[in-house]
Amino acid sequence: MVIDMLVQPMLYSEICTPGDEPDGFGFWSREFGMGHMGPMDWDELQVEMDVCDVRKSVLMPLDVTTACGGHFGTNDQIAMLVAAHPDRLWGFASVDPQVSGAADELERAFTELGAKGLCLHPAKQGFAPDDAVAEPLYELCERYNKPVVFHAGMSWEPGAELSRSNPLAFEHTIATYPNVRFSLTHFGWPWVRETVAMLLKYPNCYTDTSITYIDSPEEMMQRLFTVDMGPLWYERALSHQVMFASNTPRFRAFKLKRALDTVLMRDDARERLYWGNALRFLEGDE
Amino acid sequence: MVTLEILSYLSTAPDQFIDITEDVHVAIERSSVTNGLAAIILSHTTCGIVVNEGLPCVETDLMETLDRIAPLDAPYAHAHFLPSYGATGNNSCGHIKSMICGNSCFFPVQDGHIVCGGAQNIYLAEFDGPQKRKVYIEVLGE
Repeated sequence: MVIDMLVQPMLYSEICTPGDEPDGFGFWSREFGMGHMGPMDWDELQVEMDVCDVRKSVLMPLDVTTACGGHFGTNDQIAMLVAAHPDRLWGFASVDPQVSGAADELERAFTELGAKGLCLHPAKQGFAPDDAVAEPLYELCERYNKPVVFHAGMSWEPGAELSRSNPLAFEHTIATYPNVRFSLTHFGWPWVRETVAMLLKYPNCYTDTSITYIDSPEEMMQRLFTVDMGPLWYERALSHQVMFASNTPRFRAFKLKRALDTVLMRDDARERLYWGNALRFLEGDE
Repeated sequence: MVTLEILSYLSTAPDQFIDITEDVHVAIERSSVTNGLAAIILSHTTCGIVVNEGLPCVETDLMETLDRIAPLDAPYAHAHFLPSYGATGNNSCGHIKSMICGNSCFFPVQDGHIVCGGAQNIYLAEFDGPQKRKVYIEVLGE
């Protein structure tokens, strides 16, 4: 069993509309950097999950109103997709902290739409994680026991500057809200050691495996788990804080899973990596 | 006269032989061509059209041989992020197997039926699934 903790919603044909206007597929293609990719129907998306035993894909929208005037999936679209496929999908919400009413929209997503957490991409959205404007959002997450996913490390999206994505840029926020669970996506790549330091220092900090930008998935996962980290670091010190995530459609989940299957680790550590840590992140220890 | 029909398939595994023999036969019979030539053509680069005997052991040998020629762990140049796609490549095995198999086959059409040997099964050979695939059946003749 696998829970895929980072799936972009833009290939889901059920929410795709053609055209360049905000929230149209042309807008997504330009602002997300989708190249030749195109929408896929549910039967194709589902079989892609089935082939590597992904039981749940967690959809991560992004509100990029200030940065580029639209959304990579709205909160209502995510709720619609989850309602259509409740046995296979969970959804997060996203808001733009710089937009008036962001906290109200987030609360609506938590209370009315069933969002599992908050997804933010400060480098793309154009704010710093510790900006005061974002504090009400973290406070809401604490009040509703909802986790925060921060896109961290290298993101391919145009306009998401690397210099604003270093895992250490999130330290003040993660330290300030010890009761909120935060995930730094993509293992903070290329700042893997910085991410490891964050995981060691802050038990409310998590990360995920969606880092593959260079080499084959097998080569990348072996490097991550045996070179960038020592071969036993994950099992010895981090095995409660790393989650499986593919960043689909940047990368196909079954290929990442196939690569991770080749990394030596104990069965209980592997189970935590593939699904246990995701549940802990989503729900907390209680 | 030229007729064109498009058949769609959804593969369910990374590598898979999908027997499309019956569908091709029926599509050719549906065309209004009595005598001519039928072309079965793919619009993809990581799957192939294979004509071979429809036995599981033959399928296994074909697939294992292709795996030996294009193994998963070879140091392919294509294994990297592709800005033009917005996604990671990592499907060179599929490209190479597709090249080996080819993306088309041809059969005569006589009296409204395909002229096809009894051991000639037609496969859509998936090498980068699961994916939706399109097979074009174009029949030329009179």
